[in-house]
Amino acid sequence: MTTQITSTPPTARFRKEASRWPAGSHAADVGRPSFGWALPAALFFTLFAIVPLVMVAVLSFMSWNGLGSPQFVGMDNWSRLVDDPVMLKSIWTTLLLTALGILIQTPLSIVLGAWAAGHQRNRAVLSAVYFVPLLLSATAVSVLWRALLDPNFGIPADAHWLFGDGNLFGKQATAIGVLAFVSTWQFTPFHTLIYQGAARAIPQVLYQAAEIDGAGRYRQFFHITLPQLRNSMITSMILMTVGGLTTFETVLILTQGGPGTDTTISAYYMYEKAFKGFDFGTGSAIALTLVVASTVISLIVVRVSGYDKMRSSMEGVA
Amino acid sequence: MKTRARLPRLVACGATLALALSLSACGNGNGKASSSDGKIHVLVYGDASNKVEKQIVDTFNKTSDVKAVLDTIPGADYQQKLQTIINTPQAPDIFFNWGGGSIQPFVKAGLLMPLDSFIKKDPKLDKSFLPSVVKSAVVDGTPYGVPMRGTQPVLLFHNKKVLDAAGVKPPQTWDELLGAVKKLKANGVTPIALGGGDRWPTLMWFEYLYDRIAGPSLFQKAHEGDKQAWESADSKKALSMIKELVDAGAFGKNYDSVKYTNGASPALLASGKAGFELMGSWYYAQQQSDAKAFAEKDLGYTTFPTIPEGKGDAADVVGNTNNFYSVLKKTKHPEAVAEFLKLMYSDEFVKAQLAIGNLPTTTNTPKFLDSSADPDYSRFQYDLVAKAPTFQLSWDQAYPPAAGTPIQQAVQQFFNGQIDADGFIEAMQALPTE
Repeated sequence: MTTQITSTPPTARFRKEASRWPAGSHAADVGRPSFGWALPAALFFTLFAIVPLVMVAVLSFMSWNGLGSPQFVGMDNWSRLVDDPVMLKSIWTTLLLTALGILIQTPLSIVLGAWAAGHQRNRAVLSAVYFVPLLLSATAVSVLWRALLDPNFGIPADAHWLFGDGNLFGKQATAIGVLAFVSTWQFTPFHTLIYQGAARAIPQVLYQAAEIDGAGRYRQFFHITLPQLRNSMITSMILMTVGGLTTFETVLILTQGGPGTDTTISAYYMYEKAFKGFDFGTGSAIALTLVVASTVISLIVVRVSGYDKMRSSMEGVA
Repeated sequence: MKTRARLPRLVACGATLALALSLSACGNGNGKASSSDGKIHVLVYGDASNKVEKQIVDTFNKTSDVKAVLDTIPGADYQQKLQTIINTPQAPDIFFNWGGGSIQPFVKAGLLMPLDSFIKKDPKLDKSFLPSVVKSAVVDGTPYGVPMRGTQPVLLFHNKKVLDAAGVKPPQTWDELLGAVKKLKANGVTPIALGGGDRWPTLMWFEYLYDRIAGPSLFQKAHEGDKQAWESADSKKALSMIKELVDAGAFGKNYDSVKYTNGASPALLASGKAGFELMGSWYYAQQQSDAKAFAEKDLGYTTFPTIPEGKGDAADVVGNTNNFYSVLKKTKHPEAVAEFLKLMYSDEFVKAQLAIGNLPTTTNTPKFLDSSADPDYSRFQYDLVAKAPTFQLSWDQAYPPAAGTPIQQAVQQFFNGQIDADGFIEAMQALPTE
């Protein structure tokens, strides 16, 4: 739900900006679909995104355990949440994991994407193999890694020099490391795909010109490839941000928020409150906080990066 | 214009869809409103035991005018889905639960039928079951559940081969357990396997130690809202003994990374890398399917060790006392429901449960123990539960659902040293008790 809502502003804006028909032109109206075509989508969006969101907002001021009728409790859930050390900690953990995801996955997927954009032999095969993690569900991936990282029967049992006693899930630093690693393993292929597509769209003439000027491979990469990937980078980073803020399955299966509350990210905390503790009021308040936070962060990224102006995309097409 | 004509149909479509979605939320095509269709709906946790439940429903339907319908919800979603439908027209007449805190919110909301009147009419509904088990479905002095399926006491399992190699006997006392830990460690194995990643296996150590040291009254008081109980000398003693065991290296160093649910901790015992594991009685069946040869030859089991000067009875047990059937107050067919519940102490029920490895807690169970999959094991368990003065329901199930996660977190944090005894006491005092 959160993803839909937060990802909508950029897309909507994109459509408006990229529209080729000037507003008010009669010629444009002729071939234009009527508003009716938007109804099904609008209806579904209202039914499954707007209505639940409003209900969640209302519920955040209520006390409800799923039985009987909710009781209005005013700001109780919110004020308790503000004082809740676990909530505060969960926000930091969420931001840390999101930041780690961006910092690790961005360089990795740029390099891999630029590499996979080439035409050399075996790349297609290797790329195909490499994209396999993307096809697996986050649940399957988490179950797989939980088994692989078992201290007595998994990889750590044979690699003491690297893992020590193998207690990866028993300490905060290593537990967060595992979460960052697993999401990198799963999602880097996706971002690589974005960069691969973008890198293939870079006009060859730029490289030919650079070669004539005597620029080496590294110079070409840093002065042509990287700047040309700028818009893709922003797209990818927004997706990573939203994905990071709403990460859930990996935590549910790999750490259950542990040890203690060390990896209890906000989305998991919401689940824990609402669906394990049947405190839907507090759960709704956390959910709303997440919606607001991810919307704000996405908007900041869009503004700061100049993505909303779409400055260079038309040049890229040409 | 077209648009306007289409609108009502679209709205109708949307409404139908929304309705369909909400209907499918009850998890089963059969889950229709139970109000006036002359049927009673029996909602159970969906798993292998459904075989017996189906059989019992069929037996009931042979003689009853009001027919019973069995609805199942897949295990992992059971509690969540139950909570969402129990106050709606889709609510069942009879439903499966764990007693204790799992039904407490429903009792509070006035949804459940007190069973005293049923019991008054048919005292066997109470007398046919082991008293220690029946107790855990009593809320505020009123019975709300009739036992079904089987009991699951927690036992101390061991690998006979590993213990022999280290010259260790199954420990009867706490000191013997500490001695065994030392010897097993010297022999290069993890003394006690623990699936700390799942947390609830860790909780079992607390449940037993608290009971042995303080007796059942401490937890009972705390559970009823007396926060001082957690600060008592007995509570602190129990915590210090747990710490002693952890610090002695009884569980190794990486227990938080080991899970029971993915088979890792049972594999430690089966492969001879660990000596003991404290686990519910389902462990036996688990080992039999995961490591058949080991289960048949080298898997041993004993009761939890006694603790010198402890106030608790050494015969007390902890675990899942049983599963229960509770009844919705608004059922249209209370007589039929009462008749259905009587089947829970029938010979047919007991035999069918034993055949699939469950251990019912009816007084007539001993008659049929020889027909179970492993008569010795069944008899050991049955005697244990029959003789137990108290059977402590797992803490996280005795408390209301909101307390479950905080309990498990505190237990994990105390074990791995993130919080000390005072921190643990504080965490337990902060638990919601209702």
